[in-house]
Amino acid sequence: MTTDDVVLTKFPTGTGKDRPKPRRTPATWVRRGGLTALLFGLPALLIFGIFSWWPIVSAVVMSFQKTNLTDPAVWVGLDNFKEIFSDPLLPTVIRNTAWFALLALIFGYPVPLIGAVLMSELRRRKGFYSALAYLPVVVPPVVAVLLWKFFYDPRPEGVFNTVLGWVGLGPYSWLNDPHMAMPSLVLEATWAAAGGTVIIYLAALTAVPAELYDAAEVDGASVLRKVWHVTMPALRSILLITLILQIIGTAQVFLEPFLFTNGGPNHATLTVMLWVYQLAFTSIGNRYGEATALSLLLAVFLAVLSLVYFRLTRSWSTS
Amino acid sequence: MKSPRRYTVLAATAVAAALALTACSSNGKGSGDATSSAPAGDQKVTITVAGLLPTADDAAKKQLADRVASFQAKYPNITVKPEDYNWLASTFTAQLAGGTLPNVFEIPLTDGKTLIENHQLADIDKYVKALPYGDQFNEKLIANGTGDDGHIYAVPAKSIYAVALHYNRNLFKDAGLDPDKPPTTWDEVRADAKQIHDKTGKAGYATMALDNSGGWQLAAGANSRGGVIEKFDGTKYTATLDDPAVKEHLQWLHDLKWEDKSLLDRTDLGWGEINTEFAAGNLAMYTSGSDVYNALVQANGVTKDWGYGLTAIPTSNGGGALTGGTMAAVTKDSTDAQKDAAVKWIDWWYLAKLQDKDQAIADAKGLAEQNPPQAVGTPVLPIFSKENYQQSQEWIKDYINVPLDDMKGYTDVMFTQNLVPEASASVQDLYAQLFPVVQAVISDKNADIDKLLKDANAAGQSAIDSAK
Amino acid sequence: MTTTDTRTPLAAPAAVVAGAATGRRRRASYVEPDRGALSTADWRRPAVRHTWRTMHVLLLVLLLVWCLGPLLLLAKFAFTPTADIQSTPLEFFPNGATTQNIEMAWTRYHIGQFFMNTVWVALGSWACQVLVATTGGYVLSVLRPRWAKLLNAAILTTLFVPAVVLLVPLYRIIVHPPVGGSLINNFFAVWLPAGASAFNVVLVARFFSSLPHEIFEAARMDGAGPFRLFWSIVLPMSRPILGVVSVFAVIASWKDFLWPFLVLKDQSVMPLSVYLQQMANVDKGTLMAALAISTLIPIAMFLIFQRMFLRGAGLGGAVKG
Repeated sequence: MTTDDVVLTKFPTGTGKDRPKPRRTPATWVRRGGLTALLFGLPALLIFGIFSWWPIVSAVVMSFQKTNLTDPAVWVGLDNFKEIFSDPLLPTVIRNTAWFALLALIFGYPVPLIGAVLMSELRRRKGFYSALAYLPVVVPPVVAVLLWKFFYDPRPEGVFNTVLGWVGLGPYSWLNDPHMAMPSLVLEATWAAAGGTVIIYLAALTAVPAELYDAAEVDGASVLRKVWHVTMPALRSILLITLILQIIGTAQVFLEPFLFTNGGPNHATLTVMLWVYQLAFTSIGNRYGEATALSLLLAVFLAVLSLVYFRLTRSWSTS
Repeated sequence: MKSPRRYTVLAATAVAAALALTACSSNGKGSGDATSSAPAGDQKVTITVAGLLPTADDAAKKQLADRVASFQAKYPNITVKPEDYNWLASTFTAQLAGGTLPNVFEIPLTDGKTLIENHQLADIDKYVKALPYGDQFNEKLIANGTGDDGHIYAVPAKSIYAVALHYNRNLFKDAGLDPDKPPTTWDEVRADAKQIHDKTGKAGYATMALDNSGGWQLAAGANSRGGVIEKFDGTKYTATLDDPAVKEHLQWLHDLKWEDKSLLDRTDLGWGEINTEFAAGNLAMYTSGSDVYNALVQANGVTKDWGYGLTAIPTSNGGGALTGGTMAAVTKDSTDAQKDAAVKWIDWWYLAKLQDKDQAIADAKGLAEQNPPQAVGTPVLPIFSKENYQQSQEWIKDYINVPLDDMKGYTDVMFTQNLVPEASASVQDLYAQLFPVVQAVISDKNADIDKLLKDANAAGQSAIDSAK
Repeated sequence: MTTTDTRTPLAAPAAVVAGAATGRRRRASYVEPDRGALSTADWRRPAVRHTWRTMHVLLLVLLLVWCLGPLLLLAKFAFTPTADIQSTPLEFFPNGATTQNIEMAWTRYHIGQFFMNTVWVALGSWACQVLVATTGGYVLSVLRPRWAKLLNAAILTTLFVPAVVLLVPLYRIIVHPPVGGSLINNFFAVWLPAGASAFNVVLVARFFSSLPHEIFEAARMDGAGPFRLFWSIVLPMSRPILGVVSVFAVIASWKDFLWPFLVLKDQSVMPLSVYLQQMANVDKGTLMAALAISTLIPIAMFLIFQRMFLRGAGLGGAVKG
């Protein structure tokens, strides 16, 4: 099923019976259900209009303006974009965001997959396993970050340093070391998110038709070969989809850098989204215009990814 | 910058102020009376005012409510609505731009000039001048709230501080140091920090590095070594973040961290975080405003016999202690009646207790009788004159419950030490440029201090230029 | 709008959306699968059995340590004196347990009050989302006026615009709404933008399209007008999809931080997530107790509605990045 189906599906409307009159007057419009449809459409029109379409348009407008939100805005052409591109922080935030995304893939991509494959072979207690895996996802993100921040206490008495001390490692500085800070953030983010990924894989895995395994067995395939040649190909599309979803998500990462380090130490964890926030809401100089310009740039990048994603889900769903 | 101290102090003031009220309304000679010269009359007016932090305790909340109630009893035509308030560099701009500040709000002393120049504060000149003490403000302080037109736009309200050195006397003792002889030079601070670290395993020294507070404390360090982070030649502001004194202080921090290993390994400590760590006994010395003891008592459970010590910040090369404080201001879009009511409230809430003996005593008594008792008598710099300050300290001497003997290192010199005002143009932007440098130096052994400062200075200068 | 949950709308694989209509098949699929890669014959072979059993046990241990461990530790901290949390976080109550942390969090910091704010935020967002999604879906899939096609396209387009773009302009709208005064510190500042979820509308519209149209036709024959049809026929039949939308709505508003942080600043409306961030500097023991309390309820909800949560997770794709 595709999006177009919604519109294309033939479905008789309430006015189907008396269609002979071609002339359209307000009265006929009302009688034919036009008013009713408008009434039902009103919540969506209003809410989307005010809180989605209009802000999108005004984001584009604002990116060409200087404004402090109260005084009338001034048109400045491409100045906001120029300032963003000439800001020495731009390469840093792009690098940091890419680094976060890459680390998130390294930490959070293979492990849930292996876990899900293992769990899909469980004959009993599968529900228990998946509940356990999903548990961290339920924890409110602010709670998770504040708890992990305590775990990352750099003193030798810190939780992680104590554990690593048992095997003679550390103490490490964790969030206070520019090289360790980002991996520390990603580790927590992975903890909080991996369960969701496991469940998606698990759902996809159980959708693998049993006949495929049966057929492979007829050919005498070993367990490993079955996993490699039947399970994995069946997961290909969902793997690609979660990959793109994860990139879209991590490109907008905000909470972890904001709460753990607020971009520090020395901008080592300043991400694009955190920078957008800081430009808009923390700089005295009213850099709303630059913030929207930057967010538009990020949006274009993400929209391209989403398009790819949408094509994939479509082909996946129709196949 | 002095952001988050506000709430704790505020909570404490709330408690005190409410008690003060009883005295004031019963004998009816609060200084507020004298201010009813403005045109308000019986016109109904509602103002919103900066209240407490959401995390303030119930006693403070109730006292604020009581204080509001009695204010309204005194001025029946005025309705006061306190709103949760927390000045943070990171959210203040959004509130200002969004027009969501209360009618009466608080700002750091140092931001006054910038906000006035940006036309973001209301002119409250005639209302302030009408106060009985309207012309008695400390000139240097009120200058921060005075525009080029000579009008007053904001008044110093509370927590006027000089940066000082706070230390843990018990850790000094444990390390074999004499807690009555705190260090007086940065070299002694370093030596003592090392000895404390080597003997006790605890960090000897720590510095704020999170957000603008990191820049604030670096500036304080540089000021104490005779440097400044901004110069003004009468027409133009110049950022001097690469001042040798800034570098000297960074190098000193670097050596503590990487040579002596006596510096607390944290780059994420702001004003509140470092208080928490200090109160937990994880560090021996740090610099912050001289009135931090109030917050340590209020928020971190420090008591008189905890072992707190306060001494002056070490100085060299003609340096001095960085000063700052909190001003109260009124939003631009307030009506005349609201401005009048707002200044009445500022008098009622912040200032009357410094001018009136009964209110001062009630205030101190209220704080001292809290459970647990809140700090009374913590040294701050005078909002009015030195004489006025000493007089008000005299009024409340029976209730003073802070370890004054252990604060002598500071109180002996507080009126004689060299004081350095904060930079005044785009100072928050300068702090924002400096804190990443502090973080770099204490998290990266090979940080190139010269290059970091050069880049920060360029960015700071462009912030100054673009603000004009 | 939830600034951090672009993933939610984007995470709506069309196929899964379609699958939502037949939720039963999906639920069945991960609770009791027909089979996996291992056949019954495979399981009878000792080598295979032992290997996989061992791996399963290892997995269990890993899950317990990695997923449950931090939460157990948090629970322990909630009852540990602050000094012990600071100096010996991993020892088991070296100086006894205490309930003081919990008392402080509850009575001094009023966790309960902020918890209720979160509940209000979630309820209002839920109501707004359900209203917009069902009426919108009804227009798109059942009433289908001429402009439905346009509306559909306009709603779908928003799926491709990440929430990050909306942050500043939306803030401006909340401060200066088209009617009335500033919505700062008003629940509506969160409720209304939450309704603009294209994902929900698409999900519900699809579901409505998949309902047997003969029933609608029959209802019309019996003289039911569009309102009757909506209220008495379509809505009651939509319970499965409404369940899914509800779970998303509640989870999203529970997790949201940045947007409420910007617009819900007063304690009378501030949700728990924002308040906890403000509490970061209080006494460690109290903080841990507050964190534990905040976690308890979502976990309890999860355990009760486990199947719905997991179905929602499988459905919505990676809700978390």
